[in-house]
Amino acid sequence: MSDELKITTLFLKDKKTRQQWESLLYHHDIFSITDKDVLLLDQTFGIYDNQGLIATISIASNVLKYLVIEERYRENGKLFNMLVSHAINALASQGIFHVLVFTKLDYAKSFQYLGFSNIMTTEYGVFLEKGDQSINTFLSQLPLIKGDYTISAIVMNANPFTKGHLYLVEEALKKSDYVYVFVVSANQSLFTSEERYQLVCQGVEHLERAVVCQGGEYMVSLATFPSYFLKNKEEVISYQTQLDALLFKEYIAKTLHITKRFLGEEPLSDTTKRYNKALLTYLPPEIEVEIIPRKTIDHHQVISATKVRECIQFGDLELIKQLVPITTYHFISEHLTELQKRLDNN
Amino acid sequence: MDIKKTAIAGTLESSDIQIMVSIGENGIELDLESQVIEQFGKQIKAVILETFDKYGIKNATVKAVDKGALDCTIKARTEAAIQRAIEKDHDLNWEALI
Repeated sequence: MSDELKITTLFLKDKKTRQQWESLLYHHDIFSITDKDVLLLDQTFGIYDNQGLIATISIASNVLKYLVIEERYRENGKLFNMLVSHAINALASQGIFHVLVFTKLDYAKSFQYLGFSNIMTTEYGVFLEKGDQSINTFLSQLPLIKGDYTISAIVMNANPFTKGHLYLVEEALKKSDYVYVFVVSANQSLFTSEERYQLVCQGVEHLERAVVCQGGEYMVSLATFPSYFLKNKEEVISYQTQLDALLFKEYIAKTLHITKRFLGEEPLSDTTKRYNKALLTYLPPEIEVEIIPRKTIDHHQVISATKVRECIQFGDLELIKQLVPITTYHFISEHLTELQKRLDNN
Repeated sequence: MDIKKTAIAGTLESSDIQIMVSIGENGIELDLESQVIEQFGKQIKAVILETFDKYGIKNATVKAVDKGALDCTIKARTEAAIQRAIEKDHDLNWEALI
């Protein structure tokens, strides 16, 4: 082992580099990395010793990922600190100072030594953060409803906001005094996070007791979650849903005095169906969970954002008009070409 | 002098210290993580606070992760983080550095 081990940037587009990287990960139980997984990575760094890749770390948005160090180089944590430090500085140079990591229980301590704090521990892993923001700053920015009210919540991606979403909010307001509507912030949808948020705000503007909030980094969408250190899809979904449910219960609901969460019934997507099931497992008894059946239009067709996106692709504005509130309709008709272009690029 | 944005200096490698400075409201709120906090925590904090004082910064949130840095390193890293956070890193106040 040479004395001077240096960190270099890895370009995974290069076939040989990608092979070395994948083989290193493979030997540490990280299997089946798809091109899609790699595309989500913004930067990857590695350390070579005598031509062999011995350690690596990646960053995707503000999340640290794929951190692997060969066993014989792990002594005294030197390379671990080097890699994490390098990744943090790389993020800082892009103006990102809030860093998240999901890791196995065994590594949580090593991250804590580097100033990370533990947000949530589940049976599958630990979720930690470090930087100039924290879950507490996020919570303190949410509008607090004062008084003796029944407060409920809905979390939605709203890609885009449909009459189905509106119906869900209306139903929640029949059964509670106030409803928080959290819009998932992850930017991996056809409509940007800001567009989705604005359309929800406009769509419920007439409902005084609906409070719309950005979901931020802790209202986790499935897309933002790391799947890399878990062995199979089942485990991934279990971990994601468990973590999401616990974060909601322990932090968001406690701070805002939310006692009820409403979910839309999910007749179409299997993942969402399982997600709903997991929320039913973890949220009660502290938080009551109620599933609202989907709103349908004629011929018993359920209203879904997926359907709206299909209509955008085919330019079927007439059908879109039936599926979404007038506010969302105006936005789509004004931006149809732009939205179609985004669909094509995907 | 006011902190304008979050900035970071230093690394998490042995003999170094990582200093993150961001906007604060209640004086200098300093949070230090160090494996030698028992023996040297007081001294490390004093060096950091002194440096803030020298720049006339009254409010800031500071997160420091020490990996066994010497005082001169602590001072240099703190100054670098401050210069970046007050957006003066391209217009260094050399007099203050002495």
